Amino acid sequence: MATACAPTSLVRKWTGRLLVSLAVLLLVVWTAFPFFWILLTSLKQPLDVIAAPPKLVFEPTTDNYLAIFIGQKRGQYSSTRPDFPRFFLNSIVISCGAVALSFLAGVPASYALARHSFRFKEPIAFLFLSFRFAPFITFLIPLYILFQRVGLYNTYSGLILAYQLITLPFTIWMLRSFFMEIPLEVEEAAKIDGCSWWGILTKVILPLSLPGMAVTVILGFMFSWNAFNYPLMLAGRQTFPVTVGAIQFISYEQVLWGQMAAASLVSVLPQLILSLFVQKYIVRGLTMGAIK
Amino acid sequence: MRSRTHEAVLPYILLLPAFLLLVGMLYPFCLGLYYSLTSYYLQYPHLFRFVGLGNYLALAKEPLFAYSLKFTLGYAAIGVIVQVGLGLGVALLLHSRIVGRGVLRAMMLMPLMMPPVITALMWKIMMASTKSGILNHLLSFLGLGPINWLGSVDSAMVSILIIDTWGNLPFVALILLGGLQSLPYEPYEAALVDGASGWNVFRFITLPLLKPFIVLAATFRVMDALRIFDVIYATTVGGPADATMNLHMRAFFFAFQWYQMGMGMAYAMVLLALVFLASYFLMGYWKRAAEQTTT
Repeated sequence: MATACAPTSLVRKWTGRLLVSLAVLLLVVWTAFPFFWILLTSLKQPLDVIAAPPKLVFEPTTDNYLAIFIGQKRGQYSSTRPDFPRFFLNSIVISCGAVALSFLAGVPASYALARHSFRFKEPIAFLFLSFRFAPFITFLIPLYILFQRVGLYNTYSGLILAYQLITLPFTIWMLRSFFMEIPLEVEEAAKIDGCSWWGILTKVILPLSLPGMAVTVILGFMFSWNAFNYPLMLAGRQTFPVTVGAIQFISYEQVLWGQMAAASLVSVLPQLILSLFVQKYIVRGLTMGAIK
Repeated sequence: MRSRTHEAVLPYILLLPAFLLLVGMLYPFCLGLYYSLTSYYLQYPHLFRFVGLGNYLALAKEPLFAYSLKFTLGYAAIGVIVQVGLGLGVALLLHSRIVGRGVLRAMMLMPLMMPPVITALMWKIMMASTKSGILNHLLSFLGLGPINWLGSVDSAMVSILIIDTWGNLPFVALILLGGLQSLPYEPYEAALVDGASGWNVFRFITLPLLKPFIVLAATFRVMDALRIFDVIYATTVGGPADATMNLHMRAFFFAFQWYQMGMGMAYAMVLLALVFLASYFLMGYWKRAAEQTTT
């Protein structure tokens, strides 16, 4: 019996391994190929981009990158969107501003929601959370009308305020989950030592949750960087972030594929770099602290 | 005595800055709710008047309303099944002992943190309809295609689902992987003693224990799928021939293409109600699932 079993179990083992290896290979290709292809596209001349069948071997060019950064005129393929550096800068300014404001308002709020007990505590916390799930259009339409009226349309401050819909609920729930991880005893010991609430917050809670706060700031920055809907209608050419900037390469007459590819790659560079630092916390951030 | 009143007031003081911002968010929301009850044409302000539920009645009669509602719900249902199903597969793969698991895991994070618009643009390049598109070129080796991915009524929704899945599959997979890694050993040891088959172990031990994680991942995916906008806007803009027109896109069209703010807000409110209902049921389901497994 045992001798009859041996070959089949060996075959089974090896087919199992083969299937797993195939699945892994498929997963790697599925995940990495779009990045590879966009990189290739960004290095192609316009004629190579539309070549059929698609070219794997071609003479690489940096024209697309030069075009989006300097806006050099290169024959008929001149960049019609020379303001990409501006978009990049806008993204940095708006994202930093949005995160800073959310952080300043969010630290005390999330501390109160984590440590104090008071009436309507959970409803207030859930009210903040509900903004995470509300369709953006419910805010975008009235904000568009309001912003035009009060002069916030197409301004950094207007966008930073609108971005609070993204960053504030995230910041509060994320910081709250980090604050709640600090053992109560630490705080009580400080209280016995005569620390005021301010002393506890600045000398105990904040230093202990420094890594958590760093993660929150970085992830908040990344989520703001990804924002598209609000700036699409609330920003103008002077304040477009990279996400809205990238679709400007599609116009009625033509699509500048190569430049769009270059712009796409450049605009996700900060995301790819920053995600290396917060790897372990990305899922936690995306679930608003629900999963640790 | 003094310190006690101090204690009672303190949380409200701490909440004040965030609360001010909260009011700043609720005010436009209420304004929008009011607009949904008015005839508000941005270009013809003199036509502005209160119409009660007029927009909602008009919307219900619109032929595209039924379609966009159906598309929104159908997309969310299909999307969540596909993404949770595949995500479970990927999670099990990453959980098994394979070479380079850490690298794979880190790689999976890359699509996750991409702006959805950029993801859509990347795929739009690959999904070029002619033979110059790389996906069609690859298909031609299998003797298939060329497919007019985003340009035809039949394949536009599937194409959007592919793009959306590329960006969000890692989210589901990583949540479920975290779940798998947190499962207790005891039931597995017992199963080993009983000599249960691999499938039975998965079906009767892993799946029930993983349920809260599956429901949580599904909840997030359903909510995002109901509201999907960026990917559609960057690829089909609701087309071709309104084939990918969901409620979100429709609301956007009313407000920012035709400047009918009232109708746009009415559509937005219908979508909000849908999201609210879905979140209410799914969150409750998640809580029950979490309680079941812990007791």
